[in-house]
Amino acid sequence: MATATAPVTFSKKPGATLAPDSYTDVDYSEKLRLWEEVKADIRFPDYMRGCYECGICVAACPSARFYDFSPRKIAQAAAREDVELIYEQMNDDVWQCSQCFSCDRCPRQNSPGGLITILREVAVKNGLASSREALEGYGRVVYKIMTTGTQVSPDMLQPDAFPDWGPDVRDVSENLDLWRRAVPPETMHTTSTSWEVSQETLIELYLIWYYSDVMDMIEEVDEGLHMIILDVMEEALEDAGYEL
Amino acid sequence: MTTTRPEGTGTIIPLGSIKRAPFKLDGEPPPTTDIRETLYELEAAGELIIQRVPEPYVEVTTKYGRTKKIPEATTWHHKSCGQCGHIPGYSTAIFWLNRKLGMDYLDPTDQTSCTAWNYYASATSNSVAQGGVAMRNFAAAYETGYFPIIHCGTSYGHYKEVREEIVHYADLRAQVRQIMDKLGKPLVMPEEIVHYSEWVHAMKERIAALQVYDFSDITASVHPACHYYKLVKEDAIYDPDIYGGQRTATVTGLIMALGAKVGDYSTFFDCCGFGFRHILVQRDFSRSFATMRKIEVTKEEANPDVTVTHDTGCVTTLDKSQFAAQAHNRNVGIPVMSDAQFAALAMGAHPYRVCQLHWHSTDYKPLLEKMGIDWETAWIEFEKDLKQLENNEIEYLTWEHVDG
Amino acid sequence: MADGRVVVVGAGPAGLEAARLAGDLGAQVTLVEKNESPGGMPIQANYAALTHGFRSAEEAMGEMVTAVLDHPNIDLRTSSEITAMSGSAPEFSLTLTSGDKSEEIVAGAVIVATGFRHFDPGRETQQYGYYEFPDVITLADAEGMLKENNFVRPSNGEIPERVAFIQCVGSRDRQIGNEFCSKVCCGISSKQAIEIRQQVPDARVFIFYIDMRMYGYWENDIYWPAQEEHKVNYVKGIVTEVLQKGDKLVIRGEDTTMGRPMEISMDIVVLAVGMEPSEGTRAMAEILGIGTNKYGFIEQDHNSLDTVATSVPGIFVVGAARGPADLDDSMATAGAAAAKAVAFVSSGVTV
Repeated sequence: MATATAPVTFSKKPGATLAPDSYTDVDYSEKLRLWEEVKADIRFPDYMRGCYECGICVAACPSARFYDFSPRKIAQAAAREDVELIYEQMNDDVWQCSQCFSCDRCPRQNSPGGLITILREVAVKNGLASSREALEGYGRVVYKIMTTGTQVSPDMLQPDAFPDWGPDVRDVSENLDLWRRAVPPETMHTTSTSWEVSQETLIELYLIWYYSDVMDMIEEVDEGLHMIILDVMEEALEDAGYEL
Repeated sequence: MTTTRPEGTGTIIPLGSIKRAPFKLDGEPPPTTDIRETLYELEAAGELIIQRVPEPYVEVTTKYGRTKKIPEATTWHHKSCGQCGHIPGYSTAIFWLNRKLGMDYLDPTDQTSCTAWNYYASATSNSVAQGGVAMRNFAAAYETGYFPIIHCGTSYGHYKEVREEIVHYADLRAQVRQIMDKLGKPLVMPEEIVHYSEWVHAMKERIAALQVYDFSDITASVHPACHYYKLVKEDAIYDPDIYGGQRTATVTGLIMALGAKVGDYSTFFDCCGFGFRHILVQRDFSRSFATMRKIEVTKEEANPDVTVTHDTGCVTTLDKSQFAAQAHNRNVGIPVMSDAQFAALAMGAHPYRVCQLHWHSTDYKPLLEKMGIDWETAWIEFEKDLKQLENNEIEYLTWEHVDG
Repeated sequence: MADGRVVVVGAGPAGLEAARLAGDLGAQVTLVEKNESPGGMPIQANYAALTHGFRSAEEAMGEMVTAVLDHPNIDLRTSSEITAMSGSAPEFSLTLTSGDKSEEIVAGAVIVATGFRHFDPGRETQQYGYYEFPDVITLADAEGMLKENNFVRPSNGEIPERVAFIQCVGSRDRQIGNEFCSKVCCGISSKQAIEIRQQVPDARVFIFYIDMRMYGYWENDIYWPAQEEHKVNYVKGIVTEVLQKGDKLVIRGEDTTMGRPMEISMDIVVLAVGMEPSEGTRAMAEILGIGTNKYGFIEQDHNSLDTVATSVPGIFVVGAARGPADLDDSMATAGAAAAKAVAFVSSGVTV
């Protein structure tokens, strides 16, 4: 985390900023490039219009109660195009957002949460070190959703993954196969996916990942994960007769 | 109080003498446009196909007074990752309600997750991919002739976002159409995006008519799901008879129809703390927020027998987070379930075969007792099922088993 | 000497002033008022003091009404409405309906003074609970209590210890569709805050705002005295929710200056509701065929430097029918329209 503990210095670079120089090792031009990428997102004009600092987004925000986090500051930085501060937020703050969209109550009809979705996306797409850190420990979930078409699976309910959820998680994991067979809907007798997804459906999902550049994003943040997912997908696609 | 009270003060002013009559949506021009009008234009221009809501449908009213059609049957059930994976009684109860009410439905395997949980957690995707996933599922539903009904609040909210984007951004629409062309599928948008809790709301009188347990002693508090009513907010159901039309009517409407008491609390607007990424990799946040801002406040102010909600993450977060808090002797201990499970219990559904409450963490047994449900006998029955499964006398617990 | 009749629709401050001045300039005036008595919103909504110099609303409006009632050139028609119009300048034919009786009036010019209505907080996108909690009131409700020198908690009649004003309710809000500033609420809230501090000296009064829009002399007449003499607390940040906890209200918002969420207990919360076009304004726009803007206020051509012209020659608009207005605006536009209407009927030209 880039919380300044030493005396702060203020940038004298173009695009003058109120943010302390937390990322002095990164060129201003690089920060500007990322910001231009954020602004180029098709959704940007609808998510960020203008901010008069009323604080409604902060009062409604769960993350603002827990972290040193403020959707208003995200919106303000964007409104002022404070490139240095935006870069800092793109590395730190954005990963604290809960994406609940309580901030959509904004009277200017901004969506600070939506803006954060874009900021995160640009961070991931450009393989920012902070996005790699933020996604550490999360890779298994990306693997699960991209390869099986369901986000979580019954067999992910393991006591070591959820130690704070109490002994019931152990009960579930110990009885998993039996308890899944005791669920009436035919599609839900699965343990490694949430429900049964047909192979044809999976092939279509893989094609969507290919055609929409998602695989490139994964490669930017986790080469190992990218390789494993690619293996699974290529095999399935080849079997289905696709040349990639 | 040592205040200098001016002479002649201190009389109680009756509310009516100050305030105007209760609020009514009075033909105000809605601040949002009806997206379906643009959809129909796109359809007329040959840009996409609209899948019509099948008859019969129930008409409900949304936030700014628009009428929304909720199909009764012929529904294609878009399942939820977290529900099917970790709260299987949630999905099972939705299907069970459909069966009990005699509604024809499909539980497809040609369905993927909306993948929005991952998107909101990790941003390892983009609008084109998200649009592609949504439109692939919608096309899959269209091909069957059944109308999509969406189990997850996040899928519902995200699909409404996707609809906004597909409708308003021609470039994105073209990109998504290209992908659909490659998949050999048409670009289809359902006429309405319908959440299952809206169907429950539309069916609440019919559910109440089949109620077998008296819930008049039960106090239920409601956690309205953020992605249900905060994302593309004009599409959520509101009713002037429920909180004067000032809060969403889903869930609360059902509780009232079943004759239970609604326990109100001051942090109803707060999210549950799920956080998408937080529940998986930063759970200290989810746990603290769920217990300190939601469960403890609810307990202190309403002391309900149960918290009822209508989304995946909310059930998980509010339920599972209580264990650690209990270990620290915090004032928690409220069972949490979905409106579908709550309705099913009222109609006499089996607490384990249908509602699968053994997957829930917080003690729900006192609630069942208060409802008049004999959970001990039910558990013995369920254990027999498990024995039969274990001995491979039966391969699965089936609908025949449950319906019979 | 004018030879055509001027019809003024609406006998609130702007309509009364326009009628009086047109009459003084020699025109024959018919002043049409829908309600039983003239005086407009300050009387209907039971205003205490006018923000304008803290004068008693009843007294100030009383003077204006008397000037009209005593005027030989003015025919005041209460409980009456204009229900149809045909023709055009210089001969508008207006149908005046009173109860079940209708008559035709020929006019050379029409002045629309149909005003505004208060925003209904039931449409507020934040969660202020106006219809849920008795102690959540509007500026208009507060006016009534202050006028009676009876500013107490409606729920139990107790004297409040803490009072909060929330600004911009129903104004400056894209979610609701009212993107405009209602102009007067900052001043009225501050005026009421002073009155509360005078009537209930032990109460602490807070004003939660986005921007305090105290232009011109409101700054030194109201804003500074509110802070310096009357110790009203101004907090930059808008409340998102009003909740009930025990027998108190709790407000949630962000103190944006301090940069943190706040939750504060209150006894009374006053919603500074803004202005919207009145039903009469919407109806007159339709009947007279004059253009409105997207908010339903009567449109004026901002490029012409004519503050009172409408899209139809010979029809003028004054006061809050043309958009949020304070009394200075209303009086100024009323005067301009009266002069222009009289000139129009005399010479047939727009001046």
